[in-house]
Amino acid sequence: MSVYITSTGSFLPGPPIDNEEMEELLGFVNGNQSRLKKRILKSNGIKTRHYAINKHHETTHSNADLAIQAARQCMQRSGLPLNKIGMLSCATTQGDMVIPGFGSMVQAGLGISDVELHTSHGICSSSAMAIKSAVNNLLVGDQNSALVITSELVSRLFKNTRYEAAGGVDAIDFNAEFLRWMLSDGAGAVLLETQPRNRCLRINWIRSFSHADAYPVCMGIGTPSDKNDARTWQDFATYAEAEAAGALLIKQDVRLLENIVKLGVDGALRLIEEGVLDVNEIDHLLCHYSSHYFRGKIYDMLEMAGAAIPEEKWYTNLYTRGNTGCASILIMLNDFLQDERAKPGDNIVLMIPESGRFNNAYVHLTMVE
Amino acid sequence: MSEVVNIQRPDTLSELSQQTLRRLMRAWFDFERRLSRVNIINRLDVGSFSIDDYRNLLLNLRPQVIEGGRWISRCASSFDREHADIRSVVIGHAKDEHRDYEALEQDYVAAGGILSDIRARQRNPGTEALHAFLMYRASQPNPTDMLGAMWIIEGLGEKMANDWADRIDELTNGNGSYTKFMRYHGDNDGTHMDKLYGLVDRVCIDGRVADNIIRTAHVVGRLYALQLEEIDYINE
Repeated sequence: MSVYITSTGSFLPGPPIDNEEMEELLGFVNGNQSRLKKRILKSNGIKTRHYAINKHHETTHSNADLAIQAARQCMQRSGLPLNKIGMLSCATTQGDMVIPGFGSMVQAGLGISDVELHTSHGICSSSAMAIKSAVNNLLVGDQNSALVITSELVSRLFKNTRYEAAGGVDAIDFNAEFLRWMLSDGAGAVLLETQPRNRCLRINWIRSFSHADAYPVCMGIGTPSDKNDARTWQDFATYAEAEAAGALLIKQDVRLLENIVKLGVDGALRLIEEGVLDVNEIDHLLCHYSSHYFRGKIYDMLEMAGAAIPEEKWYTNLYTRGNTGCASILIMLNDFLQDERAKPGDNIVLMIPESGRFNNAYVHLTMVE
Repeated sequence: MSEVVNIQRPDTLSELSQQTLRRLMRAWFDFERRLSRVNIINRLDVGSFSIDDYRNLLLNLRPQVIEGGRWISRCASSFDREHADIRSVVIGHAKDEHRDYEALEQDYVAAGGILSDIRARQRNPGTEALHAFLMYRASQPNPTDMLGAMWIIEGLGEKMANDWADRIDELTNGNGSYTKFMRYHGDNDGTHMDKLYGLVDRVCIDGRVADNIIRTAHVVGRLYALQLEEIDYINE
C-alpha cells in the first residue's frame, strides 16, 4: 500500500510586507532603527513575507486561524468531504495556547468530528514528524485519510516591546535579533489518502536524522541571555522576571548555524549509501534554505563525489513567502504544484533542515496520474 | 633523477573514487560530531571555555604535533618507486609541518604558560594510542590508507584555523597573539582539495583500498577524540 498527497493548500495572512515596511510593522526597539537588519536580510535574501499582526500589534489571525484557512483551501480543492477525514495531524512551534495541543484547537476550529489527533512539537522539522505520523497511521491501516497542517505565528515574538522588556537595544545582540529578520507567519496543509486521486504525489519514504546528542541548542526560546544562568523560563519566580532576563526571546546561535548545512549533506549521503536516494533521479528539490548556503567548498566536493543536485533543480519560494518555520515546506509544496513545474513521473525531494538542535528530514515523492 | 609526476585535480572521478569521497565526507561529519561531544570542545560551543582550558588544550596537543612530523615522514618513506608521485605529496606535508610545535609552544607561553611545563608534558593516553596507530599504519608498505588519516588531521587543521582560533580569542579576550599555531593551518587556497581529489583517484583501485582508507579515517578520528577526552580526565 502507498500513501498519496492528493491535495494541498496554504494561507499567508495580510499583504506581502517588504524589507522597508517590516521594521515599521514590528516596531523600532527603543525607537531606534536596527543596525543589523540590512546585513541579516542580505544574507537570507528574503524580499517579502506575511505577518498575522498589524502595525498596532493587534493579532489579525490566531495561529489556529492560519491553520484552518490553509486546511480549508486544501479540502476545497479535494473531492473529499471534511467529515470523512480520519486523522488530523498538526505541527507548530508555538500554539496560541501553551496547552492543550495545537491540534485540538485546530480541530475545534475546523469542526471535524471524531478524528484521531496528533500534534507534533518542535521547530521546522515538526512538519516532517506530523507528515510521517499520518503516513504511518495510514500505512498500518487505521485510517484511510489524514489532513496534515503546519502553521506558524512567530511575529508576536518580534514586537519591539518584547525586546524592550528584555533590556532593549543594549541587551540585544546579533543572536537575539537574527530571527527577527528571518521568520514570518503562514500555514500549509496537505491531504493524505491511501488511494491516488487525479494527478497527485506518491510518498515513497520519509526519513530524518537528529543530532541533539552532539550539539548544543542552536535556536530556541526559554534560556536567559546570561549564558552562566542555567535556569529556563519556568524556573523564574514570575514570567515577568523570565522576560526581563531575556528567557522569552527567540534566539539563534549563529556560530553553530553552519552545522545545519553539513548535517543536511551528511543525511543525504547516508541515504545515498543506503541505496535509498539516487541524486540522478531527483527532478526537483524543495528546501526552505537558500541554496547559496550549500554552495562553495561543500558543493565542489559534492560535485566531485557525484552527489550534487544542480542549481536548476532547486525550488524555493523563500524570497517571497519568507521563512515560516514548520509551515515553510507545505507552503512551498503548494506553490510548487500550483506553478505546475512537475509532470507525472517526476521525483521530488523535500529537504527540511532544522537548526533548533539539529534535525534534518527528507521526504521523497513521485508525481503520479 | 626520475621524473616526478604531480598529483593534480582530475576532471572527473571514477565511481569508486566518488563513493570513497562521499564516505570520507561522512567520516569527517561523524568526527565533527564526536569532537562536539568531548567536554572541552562542548565548552567552546556553549561559551564556557576558559584560558585554563586553552592552555590545557595546548599542553595536550604538543606531543602529538611533535610526533606529526615523524609519522608523516615514516609514511613517505614507506612508499616504493611505483608510488613516487604520492611520496612527493607526503614529503611536502612532512616539510610543512615538522616544526609546527614551535609555534604551539610560543602560543602556550603567550597565553600565560611556562615553557618548561609544556616541554615536560608527556603524551596523554589518547595521544599514545593515536601516535602508535599512525606509526604502525605508516610503517606498512605503500600505506595508501593514510589518506584517511591525512583527511582527518588536515580537516582538523582547517577547523582550528577557521573556527576554533576566533572562538578561543572571543571567549578568552585574546587578540590573536596566542592562537597563531591554530591560525597557521587556515591556508584555504583549495589546491590541497585538488590534491585530495587526485590522490583519491590515484589510489582507489579496488574496494579493499577504499575500505582501508575509510577505516583509517574512522580510527584516527576516534583516537583524536580520545586524546581530547583525556584532557578533562587527567586534570580531574
